[in-house]
Amino acid sequence: MTVLVGYVPSPLGEAALRAAVEQARFRDEPVLVVNTSRGDAYVDPRFAQEADLERVVRELTAAGVPHSVRQLVRGRDTAEEIVDIVEAEDISLVVIGVRHRSAVGKLIMGSAAQEVLLRVRCPVLAVKAG
Amino acid sequence: MTGRTTRPDRGGGLPPRSAEPTVPDQAAARRGQADQPPSPPTPAAEPPAADPAGPAAGSAGPAAEDAAIDRTGSAPGGDRAQYAVCAFLALVGALVIIDATRIGSALGSADPIGPKPVPILLGVLLLIVAAVYAVDVARGGSGEPEAGEDVDLTTPVDWRTVLLLIGAFLVNAVLIDRLGWVISGTLLFWGTAFALGNRHYVRNLLIAVALALITFYTFAIGLGVNLPAGVLQGIL
Amino acid sequence: MDNLANLLDGFANVVTPTNLLIALLGVTIGTAVGVLPGIGPAMTVALLLPVTYGMEPTQAFIMFAGIFYGGMYGGSTTSILLNTPGESSSVVTAIEGNKMAKAGRAAQALATAAIGSFVAGTIATLLLVVVTPPVVSFAISLGAPDYFALMLLAFVAVTAVLGASRVRGFASLLLGLVIGVVGIDQTGQQRLTLGIPQLADGIDVVVVAVGIFAVGEALWIAAHLRRRAAEVIPVGQPWMGRQDWQRSWKPWLRGTAFGFPFGAVPAGGAEIPTFLSYVTEKKLTKHPEEFGRGAIEGVAGPEAANNASAAGTLVPLLAIGLPTNATAAVMLAAFQQYGIQPGPLLFERESGLVWTLIASLFVGNLLLLVLNLPLAPAWAKLLRIPRPYLYAGIIFFASMGAYAVNASPFDLFLLLTIGLLGFGMRRFGLPILPLIVGVILGPRAELQGRRALQLSGGELHGLIGGWVSWSIYAIVAVVLLWPLVGRFVVRPLRGRLVTG
Repeated sequence: MTVLVGYVPSPLGEAALRAAVEQARFRDEPVLVVNTSRGDAYVDPRFAQEADLERVVRELTAAGVPHSVRQLVRGRDTAEEIVDIVEAEDISLVVIGVRHRSAVGKLIMGSAAQEVLLRVRCPVLAVKAG
Repeated sequence: MTGRTTRPDRGGGLPPRSAEPTVPDQAAARRGQADQPPSPPTPAAEPPAADPAGPAAGSAGPAAEDAAIDRTGSAPGGDRAQYAVCAFLALVGALVIIDATRIGSALGSADPIGPKPVPILLGVLLLIVAAVYAVDVARGGSGEPEAGEDVDLTTPVDWRTVLLLIGAFLVNAVLIDRLGWVISGTLLFWGTAFALGNRHYVRNLLIAVALALITFYTFAIGLGVNLPAGVLQGIL
Repeated sequence: MDNLANLLDGFANVVTPTNLLIALLGVTIGTAVGVLPGIGPAMTVALLLPVTYGMEPTQAFIMFAGIFYGGMYGGSTTSILLNTPGESSSVVTAIEGNKMAKAGRAAQALATAAIGSFVAGTIATLLLVVVTPPVVSFAISLGAPDYFALMLLAFVAVTAVLGASRVRGFASLLLGLVIGVVGIDQTGQQRLTLGIPQLADGIDVVVVAVGIFAVGEALWIAAHLRRRAAEVIPVGQPWMGRQDWQRSWKPWLRGTAFGFPFGAVPAGGAEIPTFLSYVTEKKLTKHPEEFGRGAIEGVAGPEAANNASAAGTLVPLLAIGLPTNATAAVMLAAFQQYGIQPGPLLFERESGLVWTLIASLFVGNLLLLVLNLPLAPAWAKLLRIPRPYLYAGIIFFASMGAYAVNASPFDLFLLLTIGLLGFGMRRFGLPILPLIVGVILGPRAELQGRRALQLSGGELHGLIGGWVSWSIYAIVAVVLLWPLVGRFVVRPLRGRLVTG
């Protein structure tokens, strides 16, 4: 069993990562860090740069948690990727960051967090920033 | 139909930084086969001409040679599809000449040349270029497909996307006079965004409607550009 | 003919609120398309051609000039921040610029690029003011045979000098010339109309330009759409320290000196002078160890060269009606749309328009500096637009523009056909520029050639005028025969040197 965390290079993502580490220790399970981008824009602020991922690995190593990192760029939404991984692999818990979205924002942009909450079949831990 | 357009994966593990697709999916492989002309020899089996110093390759030299070697996946066998280009050029040349012979001879007047010689000259030159082109291709010459920031030449031509785009384009061309620009333009933007792999249907529809309305009001009503109102005449 | 007074009148025309607004719009659009890697200034001017029908010609050209210069500015931003040159002229900038950015000096790289572009653009526009009138008075003495020779030179130059393969260049040129032939000839005969009434008026240059540049490009990119998020470098406010200024000003001036003449020569373009500038700065620098690791000279020089060449391009365009690159070719088409024929007579007949256009270049340059220095971080945000929207937008505007030319759906089918031609040309490595130059200059070359032969009563010697056409034909011959010269003269000589 593995704890999956949806990581983005932002305070929200770092908060999710910390929560995931805590849960992994508590459950004595490894952490799977997932960062995705649709890859259809030149620049995607949610796409973790090399330096970000290196820092994530350092943090996880320092915390002594077994871990793996997966970065996916294949034109699909974060929620779809996470749902697929949960379907295919042995995931015990999904940790994601959530933030406030206005009704219009949700209509136009969709909400990745909501998608994940409703569609994965394992428990989801929703973390807020700060 | 969700966003299941499977694309080459970046792969797992931490250092998946290379842009090379590590696990090309089956769909892409199938598309690749469909795309390739039915010419079995691989470039590896057919070494590029030792001295590609044809009339063209004189300046093309190393670039053309590299292209012939590099483009293993997309077009094997020195890119035989290029003969189609030669045929096309010859066809155009022949058509231009035939059309020119149909033109009546210059009706005297002040113009001693008349409308005939230029197309005939162009037609003849086209036939010559087609022949030289064919010789160049036979010698292993090959044009480098145009590279670009958004162009990933490691992938085969994605015909599905291209055909969907053409479809969206034709829908607009057929409907623009009947339904008006605002509706056909909305369909056009939505359809092209869909063809290009965007799956935010609602968001795209909102953007498409907004774009169509803004362009209609700015250009048709503001700047007097010819855009039809169509069935929405009187409402807009 | 007091040019200074004319220029001042031009300034007076530009600084009306409406025209300033249009100039601002132009440079804004120009910078945006320069920043976005998929769209170039030639495509943008082509896309905007039809929608400016309702505007005054002067205003349309103020906007096009802004797009032209803005595209040159914007290209550097992406080169530096993403290592993805938005335009081919910014390729060299990316070499050192991106290294600087990775070393945490993105702000200085952006600043030297923007200020250098401003300096070079201003100096080069001044040169344009000085150089163009003499060129015009020279051009006015040219007759039909000379013009015919000049256009032949333009054809040969864009075909044989640029691009890797001559035969593919000529194939492209001939296709363009054939497209230019379609329609009713001056004698009233239909040529290549295939019995389609809509083709009797010829194929509109706008449809060709939009089809080849916009639709062809969008289809080609769609066929190979890249899925990748780039590495981003955070942008700060561009600024330069005292040392950066000291190291930048000489490269700016040298870059300008390289860029302007190359821009003015057929097939010169911006690529060669930017490269030359880079090599020169690398040789002259006092910090050779920094080259390859982010030397500011390597950004300052090429960026200046790039903008100076843009101004240089306008000299032959305005004075002789000869386009030397894709954007200039489309701008020539724009002039023709308004029934204006660039060339020596332009300065007499449309004096107000030309000088307003030139004045707007100065103003646009200043606006660009103001727009680019403080707003660089905002421009970088444009890169977050998903590619599907970008290319959907291109096809959307292309369709709108092509339809608007004649308010006829037929043009949309024509647009798609030409777009598919553009797709095929990109697939098989046929260059685009010869085709577009052929379409635009072809009919004029035929006109001048026939006019020249008319004077001689159909004898071929009518094509040869004075010494001007002789020298141009000589250049054409050298360009055409260069591979043979290379094979039979240069190579044996070199061989002898090696053995001896």
